[in-house]
Amino acid sequence: MHNSVVIDHLCRVEGHGGITVNIKDGRVEQVNVDIFEGSRFFEPLIIGRHYDEIPPILSRICAICSAVHTITSLMAIEDAFGVKITPQTTLLRDLLIQGGNIESHALHLFCLAVPDYLGYTGAISLAADQPELVKMGLDLKKLGNTIQEAIGGRAVHPVNAVIGGFGRLPDKEMLFDLKEQLKKGLQQASATIDLMATLKIPNFPESPTVYAALESIDVKFNFFGDRIILSTGDSIDISKYKEVCNEKVVLHSHAKHSQFKNKPFMVGSLARIMLNGHRLTGEAKKAMKKLGLNSSSQNVLYNNLAQAVELVYAIERSLEIIEQLLKHGIKDERPTEVKVKAGKGTAACEAPRGMLFHSYAFDNKGNLTNADVITPTAQNLANMEKDLRVSVERLINESKESLSDKLEMVARAYDPCISCSVHLVELNSK
Amino acid sequence: MVKPKIGIFGLTGCAGEQIMILNCEDQLIDILGAIDIRYFPTAMTKNDEECELDIAFVEGAVVQPKDEELLKKIRQRSKLLIAIGTCAVWGGLPAMRNDVPREEFLEKVYGTKGKSFKSIPAQPLKNFVKVDLSISGCPIEKEQFLKAVASLLHGDLPLLPSYAVCTECKMNEYVCMLVGENKLCLGPITIAGCGARCPGYNIPCHGCRGPVDEANVASEVKILKEKGFTLRDIENRLRSFAAQAEILQEQFKKE
Repeated sequence: MHNSVVIDHLCRVEGHGGITVNIKDGRVEQVNVDIFEGSRFFEPLIIGRHYDEIPPILSRICAICSAVHTITSLMAIEDAFGVKITPQTTLLRDLLIQGGNIESHALHLFCLAVPDYLGYTGAISLAADQPELVKMGLDLKKLGNTIQEAIGGRAVHPVNAVIGGFGRLPDKEMLFDLKEQLKKGLQQASATIDLMATLKIPNFPESPTVYAALESIDVKFNFFGDRIILSTGDSIDISKYKEVCNEKVVLHSHAKHSQFKNKPFMVGSLARIMLNGHRLTGEAKKAMKKLGLNSSSQNVLYNNLAQAVELVYAIERSLEIIEQLLKHGIKDERPTEVKVKAGKGTAACEAPRGMLFHSYAFDNKGNLTNADVITPTAQNLANMEKDLRVSVERLINESKESLSDKLEMVARAYDPCISCSVHLVELNSK
Repeated sequence: MVKPKIGIFGLTGCAGEQIMILNCEDQLIDILGAIDIRYFPTAMTKNDEECELDIAFVEGAVVQPKDEELLKKIRQRSKLLIAIGTCAVWGGLPAMRNDVPREEFLEKVYGTKGKSFKSIPAQPLKNFVKVDLSISGCPIEKEQFLKAVASLLHGDLPLLPSYAVCTECKMNEYVCMLVGENKLCLGPITIAGCGARCPGYNIPCHGCRGPVDEANVASEVKILKEKGFTLRDIENRLRSFAAQAEILQEQFKKE
């Protein structure tokens, strides 16, 4: 019987975190996800900055999620100043976000998560034995980056998306080219679904879970929304996001924890599929059924399956957007002018790892007076501790090494983005 | 040929450099064949914490004692230490307000519980250890990284540009953001290597790569003032990515 299990450094996740489990007399006393990524104090650093400097700075919270941080930041500023954007800008932003989803999900599935199920230490050792499989993953990842480069101007920390629109618009040839690459990508995403269907997913972390996601703004599955819905049946306007992500400071973590009505909840691919999956169409709908996600699941490891379904969705959605852009022709629109006024603005998007909130206040000169950013990984930490506890209780008789590996698998299933979680929000000037 | 032993480390940052390395999708499998990766926890488990390394790539800034400790350990075990990304080379965004005491930030963000967290002013690697090569950028440019790897595999240090983004912008014949569009563009004082990416999208240079050697900061500030930008706006932009650079610190003292 173990007294404690300590994982100093979680590998194959972004950032610096660990897990500490304390066991006494065969009972689990405490399970902590330790977050020791250093604090960069983004929010206090940007107070007083002019509004147009905010998105490029806050995009740097995280490299993998930089596109969706940028878009959410732009939307919160536009909400504060009442800036209206055109349907073309909405479509291009959606396309940029889908590029981010394809890149992020392909990276997580092929390089970080799937090696666990196949018994490898990572994509590097997997590539030595199964180069074709890793190559397919890298091709998909590259597809996501190609979209982010074409629309956002850079694969990490996009430069082209600005308040009110885009700096430079893509041309027709670029869109035709993307379309061809996406068609090939759709075949590879289908092959990914076939691969995922063969994996044996263990059920040791299974436990009752509350899911939360944005309610798709469209009748179809979507990454934008004005309301937060939960599997408890609650529905809350995004302006009241703090009621859901009640953040509190915990001593073992540089990231704060979220709880809804004193209960942890989960955000991310699995939450979206559970809450909005019935809105999927096309190949993504078929993929959801094939992977058994059409009935409810309480096992976080299924998040990897949900990511595969969303990989198919993101490619189909990108193709759909490009069709629409080509049909109407790219209009030579300049970014909408901003009329600065004092005010507050809040926006939310579904990032690859779940709901992301940016909320700002500005004075009448357009200088930032207040900022709050809540990232999906911060929201998931409390739920991750719950799943780790259940897993330890079930696996307490296993060897320390096997237990550690399985706990890492649970943490990894959330696709945690630790840099993001230590963004250090909450600056309420009183 | 014995494959060089490589470690890829992240201190505090956004992991952008590690992501850019993984973004070399077309070259990654070939690179993996030519090197022996011993440490890269973002991408693999069972990392070697002790072995001697031929090359260590280190991203991120030092913002806490833990980062400093790790960095010194990396230096001890590595023949070459290469700083990658603006945080590692210049301190980056987290270093923009080192004049404010960390205790103040900790309390603002975590309240009274913040006292138990350790934080030091954000600094680049060179403030703590000898750095053999610096590849800046927020994020680094894939091409520059690949060229550096190719040179290193041949036993050479790569030759990086020593001129400003402005030069690349002119070579691309982009519209001048500073003179033509009256934007707050830092292209004239920022180190090249990005191909003037932002002006290519009608966006002024924010200086994310840090200052070029011998940058004429005073002249840049003078032009911006003449164009009607306030000292506050100018200083904010100069502070964003490389506030700790000596050449910029000199300017802040003048103001």
